[in-house]
Amino acid sequence: MNKYKLLTIIGLLLLILALGIGTALASPEPATTTQASPFHPNFKLLDKDGANVLESANAVSTMKTCGQCHNTDFIVSHAFHSDLGLSEYDAKSKTLDTSNGLFGQWNPLSYRYLSAAGDERLDLSTAEWLMLNGDRVVGGGPATTSRGGKSLAEIKADKTNPEAAILNAGGDSSAWDWNKSGTMEMNCFLCHLETPNTAARAEAIHAGDFGNANTATLLDLKVVSKSADGWVWSADAFNENGELKSEMIGLQDPTNANCAACHGEVHPNSGDPLTVSQCDLNYPQTATTGQVVSGQRINASGMNISGKDELNRSWDIHAERELQCTDCHYALNNPSHASEMQSSNPKHLIYDPRSLEIGEYLQRPDHNFARGQSAQFNVAPEYKGTMRRCENCHDAGTGHADWLPYVDTHMEVIACETCHIPQMYAPAIQTYDWTVIATDGQAIESCRGVEGAPNQTTSLVTGYKPILLNRTNIDGKTLLAPYNLITSFYWVYDDANGSKRPVRVVDLKAAYLDNGNYAKDIVAAFDANGDGNLSGAELVIDSPEKESAVKTKLAALGLNNPRIEGLTQPYSINHNVTRGENAVNDCKSCHNEESRMTQSIKLADHAPVMPVFDTGNNVNGSGEFVKGEDGALYYQPSPAKDKIYVFGSSRINWIDWLGALMFAGSLLGVLGHGTMRYMAARKQNKPRGKTERVYMYEPYRRFWHWLQTASIVFLLFTGLVIHRPDIFGAFSFRGIVTVHNVLAVILVINAALSLFYHVTTEKLREFIPHPYGFFDDAIVQAKYYVGGIFKGEEHPFEKLPSSRMNPIQKATYFVILNVLLPLQIITGALMWGVQKFPAFAHALGGLPFLAPFHSFVAWAFGTFILVHVYMTTTGATPLEAIRGMVTGYEEVEVHE
Amino acid sequence: MKKRFPLWIVGLVGILALILVPVLYFMPRAQSKNDPAAHIPVKAVHVDHKDIIKGEFKTGQDVTRACLECHEDSATQFMKTTHWTWESKAFDVPWRNEPVTIGKVNQINNFCIGTQGNENKCMSCHAGYGWEEGKKAEQSNPENVDCLACHADTGAYGKGLFGNPAEGVDLLAAAQSVRSTTRENCGKCHFDGGGGNGVKHGDLDESLYFPDKNLDVHMGGENNMQCTDCHWTKDHQILGRMVADNYTIDPTEQVSCEECHVNQQHKDERINTHLSAVACQTCHIPAVALEDPTKVYWDWSQAGQEGREEDHFTYLKIKGEFIYEKNFTPTYLWFNGNNEYRYILGDPLGKDGITYINKPAGDIKDKTAKIFPFKAHIAKQPYDVKNNYLLQPITSGKGGFWTTFEWDSAFKLAEPIVGLKYSGQYDFTTTYMYWATTHMVQPADQALQCDSCHSASGRLDWEALGYPGDPIEWGGRK
Repeated sequence: MNKYKLLTIIGLLLLILALGIGTALASPEPATTTQASPFHPNFKLLDKDGANVLESANAVSTMKTCGQCHNTDFIVSHAFHSDLGLSEYDAKSKTLDTSNGLFGQWNPLSYRYLSAAGDERLDLSTAEWLMLNGDRVVGGGPATTSRGGKSLAEIKADKTNPEAAILNAGGDSSAWDWNKSGTMEMNCFLCHLETPNTAARAEAIHAGDFGNANTATLLDLKVVSKSADGWVWSADAFNENGELKSEMIGLQDPTNANCAACHGEVHPNSGDPLTVSQCDLNYPQTATTGQVVSGQRINASGMNISGKDELNRSWDIHAERELQCTDCHYALNNPSHASEMQSSNPKHLIYDPRSLEIGEYLQRPDHNFARGQSAQFNVAPEYKGTMRRCENCHDAGTGHADWLPYVDTHMEVIACETCHIPQMYAPAIQTYDWTVIATDGQAIESCRGVEGAPNQTTSLVTGYKPILLNRTNIDGKTLLAPYNLITSFYWVYDDANGSKRPVRVVDLKAAYLDNGNYAKDIVAAFDANGDGNLSGAELVIDSPEKESAVKTKLAALGLNNPRIEGLTQPYSINHNVTRGENAVNDCKSCHNEESRMTQSIKLADHAPVMPVFDTGNNVNGSGEFVKGEDGALYYQPSPAKDKIYVFGSSRINWIDWLGALMFAGSLLGVLGHGTMRYMAARKQNKPRGKTERVYMYEPYRRFWHWLQTASIVFLLFTGLVIHRPDIFGAFSFRGIVTVHNVLAVILVINAALSLFYHVTTEKLREFIPHPYGFFDDAIVQAKYYVGGIFKGEEHPFEKLPSSRMNPIQKATYFVILNVLLPLQIITGALMWGVQKFPAFAHALGGLPFLAPFHSFVAWAFGTFILVHVYMTTTGATPLEAIRGMVTGYEEVEVHE
Repeated sequence: MKKRFPLWIVGLVGILALILVPVLYFMPRAQSKNDPAAHIPVKAVHVDHKDIIKGEFKTGQDVTRACLECHEDSATQFMKTTHWTWESKAFDVPWRNEPVTIGKVNQINNFCIGTQGNENKCMSCHAGYGWEEGKKAEQSNPENVDCLACHADTGAYGKGLFGNPAEGVDLLAAAQSVRSTTRENCGKCHFDGGGGNGVKHGDLDESLYFPDKNLDVHMGGENNMQCTDCHWTKDHQILGRMVADNYTIDPTEQVSCEECHVNQQHKDERINTHLSAVACQTCHIPAVALEDPTKVYWDWSQAGQEGREEDHFTYLKIKGEFIYEKNFTPTYLWFNGNNEYRYILGDPLGKDGITYINKPAGDIKDKTAKIFPFKAHIAKQPYDVKNNYLLQPITSGKGGFWTTFEWDSAFKLAEPIVGLKYSGQYDFTTTYMYWATTHMVQPADQALQCDSCHSASGRLDWEALGYPGDPIEWGGRK
């Protein structure tokens, strides 16, 4: 009986197994693997008193909870994401910036000013700062600590203290009780959970419920829920030891999505077409630059992008290649990036194996992440340039070897991003004008890279070409790199302490609005067409009348010396990199009249004042603000001021004018002289003097002469193409440069061999003007050219195979061979050598000096050739001298 | 006096040469374009036969006789091809003592199962007439070669029962319409194999009659390639072999991308490192059955239900239940071009409940194997419970299942024809058949991207393929 039971059970089990296998095999779809680290053990969730939340039913404390194993004190104190400039806070700062981070660095886009103690008017208190920025504040730092270093909970509620007050809508302030609101610890969940509930967290923060924000991050994960009485922890999520089952929350290394929660648009390459919230400061990196981190092809995205069908490149090659943000922006003591930390090794040591053990690292991971050198993010400047940059992974020398000439020269001047981020395909902010406000109290904003209003399906996203500006790196090198320029205009006033402060939004509203509509006197001042409404075009301060109307109203609010200021800020563009085939790879993009390097960018449709270029960064604003004919404001970079010389784009006009004048003058002279000779010869009709056929030029002489002729003529032509590629569009710039260099080598070799020939045969003497009586002879010769030649007189000096040159000729060649030719060869060689021996070129002023010099000598050569050819016609017959140089035999005058 | 050749011209030439030679030597050269389209064969213009062909044709064989008057060798050439024999060469397979041949003529698949005894319907896709006389008689007569199937305008010709011309076809008009073979000729059978559009191949269906570039970059777009542009044909032997109907395939008999894409490397070295382990098709054919759905599941056990609502894509009384899918991710397997196994009539069923009709050969250790996309077709088809082998029923034949809806009699009828004993007990078992996906190649900008495979939601199951994990992190095969 038992046997049968057993058999039945085994049979049933087998059946189930078989069915199971069958079903498993019948679904060929691979199961998606989860990213969560299966390594992380279960752990207790502790509240701020260290009690298990299961028992206390309190909010979770990340510092206490994660601090059970990780050294959270170390982490918080080594995290600029947490500090946000608090440690550098300086209330007495002379500028509007009281720190170098989000907490204190004034941002004219978000506008609200973090008030310092003693300010005349409270704008942004610490509490309101956290409510407004908390979505992108990880916690700790200013969210838990006062400017003086005390715990915020110790700061007494006080409506006069910007750390313990809050501004009311009416403009007055009330006290803020930190003990009631709680403070916000550094939120480990935000970056280390697969799906943190950022929405619930933001809701808590916006409501000023800071103490519960971190717990809210766990909502909807079946771990905790909210009831009227407080937090309800779900017992199912915990094991019998009261530990949270770690798989419930999916702990992991931060992914791109985690970083995106604060920084900008990130989109996984799923089937969903990418759409971007355009010019939306909730996605700051995307809003300010148009950078989108996604591996998706642009033509697969869901936006109305101009020319989209052809755009089969991905938004960002690194995202496409599965790189994570943390691959470049890693924790600085992460042992897997140990080789990056070894820059301080002695030279003989390539690798030092004594790095941190993984266990030690996990206990105290440095949360100061490797970072770049961006213009607008200045917190923790000591870490600038610590990240893995392009050149740490890519060898530009090898990568460009097969096509880019002068690789090192290019790399010395141009950042990789300049060519590899040729175009932004999402819109970015162009202007924030706070001098006027919309009825909702917001600035009048404009976006670049979109035709029509942003975020409208009917608007065409055109993208924009970043502007190239010179950036000074930590190592002192300057490189051209791509930027967006954002210009803001705003009112400032001098407060009671004499400090400059931006006019508060509350005050702007009081000046402009009356019950949510524009005040009558504002309408009267701004309403150009008299329809009683303020349209977009009218809502701009473009006349002294408008300005003074607003100024009067602001002054009436008690604001001292209200005035408009403008600020143009560069925003670095380092993401959205593309591969070479889609990068700038046509020489003429830069080496041309219309060069990428001199391309201007629009700053504002209308500028109430001339802005100033933000100096609080590593970008050199050497360009000019230019008002266009359309009334718009442009920024025009001037590479020349940064000592950059770009062949085909840069030129010094007076050099070219001088050279052209010299050439044109000679041409006129030659034409005049020739005409006069012709007229004189016709008039006189004098019989030709006695001539004789003489073997004048031996073959080698003819050979080197004509080879040199060809080289020089072609050199002049190719040089002209390099100088003005815009005129000679048919030629490939790169090809012409090669031809020019090869010709130069031929010329130098030919000159050297010919010198050897003349030295060894002692024929060099012919070229040396005889010092005795030189001037007398020269004057005789000159007189002949201005007089005798028209009368059909004989040449004053006989042309003989032993002495073929007259004194002026000798002097000319003396100068050409000893001055012009060497100068041209040396400047040319140095220009060619900037690739391999940049030190020599730099010692002589670099390309900005050498190149114009070379051009000028080229003009001189051109002029010489013109005159030289003309002079050959002064022989026995006009073509006789040329014939002589071709055949060797020349009919020359025979002097009695 | 004879004029002396002017020496200075020699000098001029010499000087120009001295300049031009180094300049040309150092000039940056544009990389020579390797145009794959240059390999598309240029075919002779077909002679218009309208005025050549006369006469009255009563039967298909009449037409063939007329063709053979000029094209004397064509029939004998054609009779050596698998298009005629429907049978592969003989293979030695490890699980059989005797060499076996594979083909529709003698083996089964997991679609309509088998042709034997079902010639009246099945042979409408055979390029031969006269199957009513039986296989031997049909195959031995050169006049049975159906020239029109491949050469006539498909609008003027069609086939009916036993491979004979369909009723009502104007054979004279059909014969006069002959021209170079087009996609329409091949498509008639290869697009509609298995009883309808796109049933069998996931990568060949009627959408290819008028393809867009984004459906098939070869057949669509500017090149408008015909089947024979890749399936090069000589003496009626057509290049290319069907994996499912072979055991091993000599690479010289197979069409490959490299025939035209000679030495054509990707611009990106990183992509080129994939070439040793990933077939071209894997990245360039991201999805199967882009426009028209293809059959992925066929359950014969549900056939014959009285009164059940019929629909071409879900249920037919004569055939059973189906699942059709379109635009889906292929199944990826290591594949060296051969089969590891091909079911031969009489083979026992698979041990784990799944019988493979064919199983592509290759694994991660096989250097000649690459990861390759397949369309898997799963079926439930009949087998003999006692003898433990798959059964081939008579379906369309006289007294077959499609008229009687009796399985038992269908198997009994088949017994003498197929030559397999039927024990009287049948049931249905799961079978897998793998179809190589190699058409509907996408333009380069539609190819897979890195994260299509190398990401958490990637389409490859690395461990199933034999990798320790994603090779982007764990390294490729050694």
